[in-house]
Amino acid sequence: MNEYDEKREERINALLDGELSPDDADRLKAEATDDHELARAIIEAYQLQQAMDTVNVERAPDSLRKKLRAIPAEQKPNPFFAIFQPRWAAALASIPLVIIALTLIQPDTPTEREVAQAREEMAIAFAYLDRAGVITGRQIESKVGQTMADAVTGSVNKAIQSQNLTSKEKEV
Amino acid sequence: MKHLKMNRFLAGLFCLLVTLPVIAQEDELKDLPGYVDFGDLSVTYGEPKLTINLGGTMLNFVGMMSSSESPETSELISKLKGIRVQIYSMDENVDAARSQFSETKGNLKSSGWEPVVQVNEDDEQVLVYMKMDKGNMEGMTVMVVDDEEAVFVNIIGQLNPEELGRVMDQFDVDVDLDMD
Repeated sequence: MNEYDEKREERINALLDGELSPDDADRLKAEATDDHELARAIIEAYQLQQAMDTVNVERAPDSLRKKLRAIPAEQKPNPFFAIFQPRWAAALASIPLVIIALTLIQPDTPTEREVAQAREEMAIAFAYLDRAGVITGRQIESKVGQTMADAVTGSVNKAIQSQNLTSKEKEV
Repeated sequence: MKHLKMNRFLAGLFCLLVTLPVIAQEDELKDLPGYVDFGDLSVTYGEPKLTINLGGTMLNFVGMMSSSESPETSELISKLKGIRVQIYSMDENVDAARSQFSETKGNLKSSGWEPVVQVNEDDEQVLVYMKMDKGNMEGMTVMVVDDEEAVFVNIIGQLNPEELGRVMDQFDVDVDLDMD
C-alpha cells in the first residue's frame, strides 16, 4: 500500500465515521464521481461497515470467561517460588561456599586431641632419629668394638653434636 | 548457557577454596631450605605404613601445650618448622627403596647438605645428613633402608641434639622399632 492509498483509506474511513468536514466530504464525493475506483472503494467500505454492524457479538460461556480471567493471576510469579529462579539459586548456593571460605581462611585452631596426636607423631619422628643413632652405634661396635663405638658415636646425637662443633670451629 | 557458566564458576570457586590451604601448607614447607624431597615409593610398595606431616602451625601449638610441663621441650619445638616422616613396609624387593635412597643422597650432596653418618651394609643402609647455614642448622634428614622397611625422616628447622637427648625421656611413646 503506497502513500496515496493510505491517505485515501483514511479519508474514506473518516467519511463513513462522519469525521470529515462537510467541505471535505463534498470534495471526496466529487472526486468519486470522476474516479470509479475511489467510488467503488467507498461503496465497499460502506458495505463492510454495514455488515459489521449486523454481526452479533456472542457472549462466551461463564466457565470460559472465568478461566480466561484467571490466567493473568496464574501467570503472576509466586513470591515463594521466586527463590528458585537462577539468580536466587546461585545466591543461595554461594552461601555455603562463603561459610566454607571463612572457615578455611580463619587460622586453624586444632583441638586438644589433635595437638596430643601431633605431639605423639613428633615423638615417633624423634624415636626414629634415635633409631638411626642406635644402628650406627651397633655397626661401629661390630667393626671396631664397644669402646671405640662409645667413643666415636654411641648415638647419632653425639655425631650431630660433633658436626655442629666442627661447623662452629670452621667459622671461628 | 548463563546457568552453565554460573555452575562452572561456583564449582571452580569451591575447588579453589578447598585445595588452597593444602597447597599453601605443602608449598610453605617446600620453600624452606631444610626440606627434602624423598620421591614417591608408593608405586612400588603401596601407601606408606606411616606418614607424618607436621607443619609450623601445629608444632607451635604442640610447643605451647608443652610449655607448662616442660619449658625445655617447648624451647626445642619452637625452633622447628616442620617434621616429615615416611615409612614403607617392603617385601623382598628392596631395589626401589635403595634406588630412591641413592637418588636422594645424590640430591642432598648437590644441594649443599653435609653427611653426618653413613652406614653401608649389605642388609642395612643408614644416612644422616644436615643442612647448615652460617653455623645454624636448617634441616636434618635420616634415611634407613633395611630388608623390612624404608624410613625417611626430615626435620626442618633447628634441632639441638643435646636438647633432644634430654627431652627424649619425656616423650612416653611406645614405638615398635625393630632393632634386631
